[in-house]
Amino acid sequence: MNPHIFRVVVRSQISTGRLLALAGLSGVAILLAFVARVADDPVEVATRSMGTFGTNIFAPFIALALGSAALGNLVEDRTLVYVWLRPVPRYSVATAAFAAVISVVGPIVVAVMTVAAAITGVGDLLVATAVATALAVFAYSGIFLALGLRFKRSLLVGLGYIAIWELLLSRLGDWFARLSVRSYPMSILSDATDVSMRLADRSTLASYVVPLAVGFAGLVYTSWRLSRTEID
Amino acid sequence: MSTQASPPPMVQAASVSKWFGDLVAVSDVSFSIGAGVTALLGPNGAGKSTLLRMMCGLARPSNGTLTVLGQDPRADLAVLGRIGMAPQQESLLDYLSGREFVELAAQLHHVGNPVEAARRAIQTVELDPDDTRRLSTYSKGMRQRIKLAQAIVHDPLVIALDEPLTGLDPRQRREMIQLFHRLGDEGKCVIVSSHVLDEVERFGSRVLVIAQGRLAAEGDFREIRNLMDDRPLRISIRTDQPRALAIALLDRGVISGCRLEGNDSVVVDTTEPATFRRAVAPVARDRDASLLELRPLDDDLESVFRYLVGQ
Repeated sequence: MNPHIFRVVVRSQISTGRLLALAGLSGVAILLAFVARVADDPVEVATRSMGTFGTNIFAPFIALALGSAALGNLVEDRTLVYVWLRPVPRYSVATAAFAAVISVVGPIVVAVMTVAAAITGVGDLLVATAVATALAVFAYSGIFLALGLRFKRSLLVGLGYIAIWELLLSRLGDWFARLSVRSYPMSILSDATDVSMRLADRSTLASYVVPLAVGFAGLVYTSWRLSRTEID
Repeated sequence: MSTQASPPPMVQAASVSKWFGDLVAVSDVSFSIGAGVTALLGPNGAGKSTLLRMMCGLARPSNGTLTVLGQDPRADLAVLGRIGMAPQQESLLDYLSGREFVELAAQLHHVGNPVEAARRAIQTVELDPDDTRRLSTYSKGMRQRIKLAQAIVHDPLVIALDEPLTGLDPRQRREMIQLFHRLGDEGKCVIVSSHVLDEVERFGSRVLVIAQGRLAAEGDFREIRNLMDDRPLRISIRTDQPRALAIALLDRGVISGCRLEGNDSVVVDTTEPATFRRAVAPVARDRDASLLELRPLDDDLESVFRYLVGQ
């Protein structure tokens, strides 16, 4: 990983719009946690809230906003040339960008969701939420980093992916669900509290391994694409 | 008796073509470039930027081979480290300051002391290395110069500059041209693209003329200039005696055809512009004709390049 590219990507990700989006979604997470706390069945409501909001909305949307922009913005404003022209291995550029996304998105999303889990008062959910959210962030960051490099309108493509694939097609049957990232972290939450949720019936091993594999696959694709792409 | 071998070319293109779908951007271009300043001259859209991008490894030829220092710049990172490029686009990493931008280039090129190298490069292009303003606040001229600074910060052997004088004032242009020559005199291969004929004339260097994706001409600037000056021209002459003047010019054999236009104009074709220029005033004087205006009809750069491609 190249530390100079890492720093540049981190700096490029900080914008007022993204900070506002982060703050807004963080507020929703905390609000949902308080609602779960006073619910009749706090365990079930809290598990569903952490699963539905944390791994289905918060993690993918923040990973999309920052992941797709990490290299995508450089492509769109034609400044990737200032990275590509240097004698830096392409996998090192991709790894630096991936690490930058993870280090901005990860701590914020995981911290907010863990605090939210603590607020619900459901003890079993604390570690599970932290782990499930971290895995979701890892997987989605890999996907959206790659999308950012592959598509010109990566934000729109990413929104389409979340809405159509993750939220819609994944409900069509078990095979579709297996190809949906969110089903794996949701299974971790479901395992922790024994609350049954739709899609959340992946094996324990798959729940941990698949999101990691998806994240790495995104990183490998990004490296490959960087080495093949022609720079404008 | 010993023979001195000429140094190997620093950039070599052999039958290089590049196409994007149906669009042929560069067609079967071959050349060799050594140390010193070389100008890539051609109209907008001629293929100059595509050639420079291929030289810097940003794009790969669709056909043919292009090597820099004997290697493929797309495949060899070590060669990439010996190339500096200032691309044409204005966009920069606007959230960085000028110094951070140039330091980043030095760091990524593994320069020993990137801070000092960045200061030197920024001073070379006459910007203030202590300026902490973000690049987003820079004027067009400042952006051009900071692009040049990042291209030279690692002391590259091959420097590709895509329209680097755009946006600079006359004094800055003069100084940048001096800098190009200084770099060339140091043994570096400096390739500068431009679509402005007069600008290239001031480089006083070897010229590759690129038009419609092809290498239309190459050589010393004076040879290119002569070639351009000797091309056939169509000229509109406004005079009080268009018919008499046209007949006299035909009689002298300095024009190959003519067409009367209205009562006071004649459009003539000449294949010998220099002879025509020398003859037209004396012929008019002999016929008591007043020359009111001489106007070349195809003297724009595009037609010059079209002619060179036809050659």
